[in-house]
Formats: sequence, structure tokens, C-alpha cells
Amino acid sequence: MAYHSFLLEPISCHAWNKDRTQIALCPNNHEVHIYRKDGARWSKVHELKEHNGQVTGIDWAPESNRLVTCGTDRNAYVWTLKGNVWKPTLVILRINRAARCVKWSPKENKFAVGSGSRLISICYFEQENDWWVCKHIKKPIRSTVLSLDWHPNNVLLAAGSCDFKCRIFSAYIKEVEERPSPTPWGSKMPFGELMFESSSSCGWVHSICFSASGARVAWVSHDSTLCLADANKKMAVASLCTETLPLLAVTFITENSLVAAGHDCYPMLFTYEEGQGSLTFGGKLDVPKQSSQRGLTARERFQNLDKKASSDTSNATLDTVHKNSISQISVLAGGKANCSQFCTTGMDGGMSIWDVKSLESALKDLKIK
Amino acid sequence: DSQRRSGDALRALHAALRSATRLAASPDTKEQAQGTMLKVLMAFKSSEIEQAVNSLDGNGIDLLMKYIYKGFEKPTENSSAILLQWHEKALAVGGLGAIVRVLTARKTV
Repeated sequence: MAYHSFLLEPISCHAWNKDRTQIALCPNNHEVHIYRKDGARWSKVHELKEHNGQVTGIDWAPESNRLVTCGTDRNAYVWTLKGNVWKPTLVILRINRAARCVKWSPKENKFAVGSGSRLISICYFEQENDWWVCKHIKKPIRSTVLSLDWHPNNVLLAAGSCDFKCRIFSAYIKEVEERPSPTPWGSKMPFGELMFESSSSCGWVHSICFSASGARVAWVSHDSTLCLADANKKMAVASLCTETLPLLAVTFITENSLVAAGHDCYPMLFTYEEGQGSLTFGGKLDVPKQSSQRGLTARERFQNLDKKASSDTSNATLDTVHKNSISQISVLAGGKANCSQFCTTGMDGGMSIWDVKSLESALKDLKIK
Repeated sequence: DSQRRSGDALRALHAALRSATRLAASPDTKEQAQGTMLKVLMAFKSSEIEQAVNSLDGNGIDLLMKYIYKGFEKPTENSSAILLQWHEKALAVGGLGAIVRVLTARKTV
């Protein structure tokens, strides 16, 4: 796997372009920096300065090559590349708290923004007025919406929020699309309709992800659990209480396997057993470097005893690739159905690209279904 | 309680954990349950703690962790030392996730 340290500060959020040659990220300030890969190096090619508050979400639409960013200044901007300059268009979200996350829909004709105003803004472009218009989904969200993910049918939207619940809403906008055909989540999908609401969590839902087919949705929450709802099983929820610190990001890599990462600084594999309806921990995905085991001299042992009151030889540094919590995972190649590469960014300012094939061969017990 | 006296600490532990989940929310019953739980935990010999912890399932470990932390809140003569031993063994099985779930739980014991 490849690790690149971009900054010393946390990377707030990131997004990749279609051919994965450029990455847009927020270096924990009001700007968005775009880096391009030049062989083995990354060079900064653009700086997008328009937000007045920290940029909390970035999404790059692969086909139309537009960026959407949202920030704590309660605004969102849609950026289009004109020549060699990114030009912003302001989108009025009509929210009175910070925006927290943003996602383009699969067809890129609308995007959703989750905010601290306890609502989701669905924004679409109105041709007559040449202006982005937004509609709100409010009920029954009771707290900040932390994460969003679209269903492949371009209509259903999963939202994880701080009121401990994962919900699936319909974000059907009749101005831009046809009526959707029935899905396992339901057949009547007027705008704002609640298709599914979870009940099990005791923690903020940090991240949520639809599977490639859209029949399953998985989320991670702050009480160190990972849950999955399967629409084909009448929306039965399988949950797993992990032994790790809370996870902050999750994605499907096949229809049955998930990769999640969080405050433990390494990604881990989870597998969903459809027959039993259960989730199991599949293994840690970080390959620690073999540190040279040198014996402690008597002097060092005494120093350890003096400083730390123990003669333990374990060192205080992490032996994972990321040196701080991982806050976001994105699929690079293969899509969510057959992911072959994924990328993680974290609070250590670093970005790491993980190759699924080499992980499978390096960690012998790994079984990705 | 009688099982505890009869010396089968392991069975008493399982019984206490089972009855904990059926409790009403009133503070008195909670107090009583905490007291019983503490007595059961103190009744174990240090060498038996690990075996007892291994006999619990995931939910049992989470519940045990909740009681351990509740016990820390009101320390008595010898309780903290024994509870620390329980904590070490429960942590080995439940991991940091079990502690996180104590902190985030909506229904306290």
C-alpha cells in the first residue's frame, strides 16, 4: 500500500476525480486544495478559496467533472472547471447551522447536504432560472446529520445522524427525474418519505453506506458497533459490537464484505453472512512492519522502570500506517461491488491507498466474499 | 443471593446478570441490583475471575463492564482492588469497545 503524508494537520475530507489522478482535500481550513499525481509525487495544482468556514464535505462528480463543497459557513458551492480555473456557484441551502456532509447523486443531477440544522437539503439545478434550488427533508430528524449515501436508483438517500439513528428517505425530485420503480425498500417514494429507520444504536452514526445493489445499507456508530440492514430480509438489522474504538468510516467492497476504519487508525474487514443474517469481524487490514527486536540493555530497563513504572518493552508509538484516526474511506477502483483499491485519509494529514489483492495475499486468513 | 452463599459464585454471577436485564427502571431496584452484583463479584477468588469472564457472551461482557464501572463510582474497603482485577480480565475479552459501550449506553445500570 502507498502512504503519502500531505499535511501535519488533519485532512477534513477528500474526493477523487474520475480517473484518480487528482485528489481534492480540505487541509483543516477554509480552502480546498487539489493535488495531481506526477509520477510518484503529488503536486498542488489548485487552491479553491471561497468558503468562510471550514470545509466539511467535498464530492467530485466523475462524469460531469463538477465539485461540490460544503462548509461550516452554512453554504455549499458547486465548482465547474473553466479552462484551468475552478469557478464556484453559490447554492443557498437555507440552513442556520453548519453543513456537515455532501454527496452527488449517482446521475449527478442533484446533491444532498446534511447539516447541523437537523435537516437534509436536496439541491437540483433549475434550468429556467439558471440557479440551484433546494428542498428540505426535516421530519423526523432530531439532530445533526453526519453522513449521507445515495442508493443507485438516484432517489433513495440514507442518512446517519447524531440522534443515534440511520434512516432512508426518498429524495425524489419530479422536476429532474422519472418516477422510480419499486425497490426492496418500498414502492411509494414521494419526496421526504421515510422508507426505513433503525433503532438499535446508542451512538452517533458516523458513516453510512449502501451496497452496490442498494439492497443493503451499513452504518457505524459511536458505541463501537457496526450494523447492517438487509432490505431483502424485510429490513432485518444485523449488528456487531466491536472490540475496538469507535469506527468513523465504512464502505462496502463487495456485496458481502465491508471495510471500516476509525479511531484505532487501521482499516478492518467485516463480513456479512446472508444466510444467518450476522456480521463477523474478518481481520485487521494493516500489515505492521517487522520492527527489529533488539533486547533492552539493563540501563534502558532501569530507565523504563523509572519513567513508566514498568519494564515493558512495548513502545509508545503506533505501528499502523496512519498515525491518527482515519476519518474517511473512499473506493478507488472496482466500485462497491468488486473493490480492488480503496483510499483512507485521516487526522494525521496522511492519505493511504490500499490494494485489496495484495492485502489478501499478505494476510493469509483474510477471506473476502 | 442464596446461590452466592452456597458457594457457587459462577452461577450467582450468571443469575445476577440475567436478572439485571429484566429490571424496572426505579432507582431502588437499581441500587439493590448493584449491591448484589458487587457482593457476587467480591465473592470470587482471583484465580477464578478469568474463567468466569470467559463463560460470558458478548452482551454479558458489556453488562459486566457496566457494573464494574458502577462499582468504581462508589468504592468501599476492598472493592476497587477486586474490581480492577475484573476490569483487566473483562478488557482482555471485550476490548476497548466494551468500555466505549459503557460510556455511550442510554440505559444505565
